[in-house]
Amino acid sequence: MRVSTPSTEPGSDATRETPAVLMEDVSASYDGHPALEAVSFRVPEGSFAALIGPNGAGKSTCLRLLLGLTRPTKGRVEVFGRPPLADKADGVGYVPQKVTIPRGLPISVLDIVLMGRTALLGAGHRPKRVDREMARNALDQVGLADMAARRFQDLSGGQQQRVLIARALCSHPRLLLMDEPTAGLDSAARARFYALVCDLQHARGLTLLCATHDLDVVGDHADVLILLDRSVRAQGAPSDILQEGALSGAYRFPRPHVHPGHEPGDGGAS
Amino acid sequence: MTDFLAYSFVQRALVTGLLLGVMCAVLSFFVVIRRMAFVGVGLSHAALGGVAVGLVLGLPPLVSAALFTVGVAWVVGWLRGRAEVSEDTAIGVFFPTSMALGVILISVTPAYRQDLMAYLFGNILSVRPDEVLPLAVLCVVGLGLIGMYFKELLFLGVDEEAARAAGLPAGRLRFLLLTLLAVTIVAAVRLVGIVLVSAFLVIPAATGQAVARSLGTMLVTAVVSALVSVVVGLWLSWSWNLPSGAAIVLVSAVLFFLALARGRRRAA
Repeated sequence: MRVSTPSTEPGSDATRETPAVLMEDVSASYDGHPALEAVSFRVPEGSFAALIGPNGAGKSTCLRLLLGLTRPTKGRVEVFGRPPLADKADGVGYVPQKVTIPRGLPISVLDIVLMGRTALLGAGHRPKRVDREMARNALDQVGLADMAARRFQDLSGGQQQRVLIARALCSHPRLLLMDEPTAGLDSAARARFYALVCDLQHARGLTLLCATHDLDVVGDHADVLILLDRSVRAQGAPSDILQEGALSGAYRFPRPHVHPGHEPGDGGAS
Repeated sequence: MTDFLAYSFVQRALVTGLLLGVMCAVLSFFVVIRRMAFVGVGLSHAALGGVAVGLVLGLPPLVSAALFTVGVAWVVGWLRGRAEVSEDTAIGVFFPTSMALGVILISVTPAYRQDLMAYLFGNILSVRPDEVLPLAVLCVVGLGLIGMYFKELLFLGVDEEAARAAGLPAGRLRFLLLTLLAVTIVAAVRLVGIVLVSAFLVIPAATGQAVARSLGTMLVTAVVSALVSVVVGLWLSWSWNLPSGAAIVLVSAVLFFLALARGRRRAA
């Protein structure tokens, strides 16, 4: 199987084109406990990369580093060629696993989507008609144009995730970071979710980086899988990564469930 | 009612109560969204420590309480940003400790026990003329700050991680909200007292939430219910010689249950 690492040789293709995401020899820790060790990968602009790996593998930590919410203890983290800054959203949209609203809070779908405009508007500026139009357009793109006035809590889990995508789209991102966005959804809703984000990727030229456990679905949509277990165990095309040997090393079980289209090969993990 | 409004001390109480009612109602909106009711209870208890320090040291008790409570709020806010202690634990440790300090200080200075009752249960009818203007300035500044950062505080309350990822200064906004809460709690001690002030930081928004179909309506209902509670509560207090703070909070609670009943009937 192919296991790639980012090339940093002067004059190589990789250094000539600035990737959307660059992690180079990155280590990170929480309270002295290592979360990532010498992680290196890059995500070219316009592609869909999925971070897979067991719980505690460091997938969310990677996203937090790229959002500027956590600092690396070592290495280089760049988004579109610049270090991420926590206090400045710069072409990066974020879709969390879910949003827990206090029960009974009458917050509408449009209220949630408009939050995507908050940082861009700045303090003291209320959303104007143009912002509402942007929010409605974003809802239209995720197929929820007629639900703007509905209570967010009345929507199904899958619809709520679409609203969160619309919120992220509202800030006109070039890169969408998604942290296990399909957790809790049934298989049909998960398939619809990935079909939607792929449509958005192609329609808007978005770069997608998604932390996920959806080994059975994500391989059909992603361009690159990055198998993480504190360090990068393997990265490459889904057909190479979704193999018994590659996955079992990271997931520590003999035979993970993979999509029937991806037959186990004879390759091993790194 | 005309007689009621003829007295200058009642007029002062009404003006002060209405201003604080609006401030508490608006803050209650964020207390409910951010599930900070426990913080409100804790901060109000911490205020007793500050009042006691002021009484014992001969400082204006509300000023010392404001400084003390804001300080405790900041410590809790700082601890929340660290992994060692959860916010719940920090509140559970710091706020009863502050109250215990207050009780000890006041118990060794018996001359202040009468004053203590006024702080514990409030007496807005005793607001002095020179206290009205500072309270009005506090409310105007506080409401101005909330108005300026309203959408940021809302985003932070609903989804803190996404708000931080979007580039909002979550830490500074959290300290702003905690500071406004602490100062408002101390100011509202004159209105309903330390024991009851936390109720006034939850019930108005809960009333709004029970009947409203949008966030805007919820906020407006919260403010209106707080204003009605202050006016009716003060009138009941004046008419039947009841403790003003308890009367205001009870009216507020009645409005909440009425709103709850109406909301349920509508949902059925």
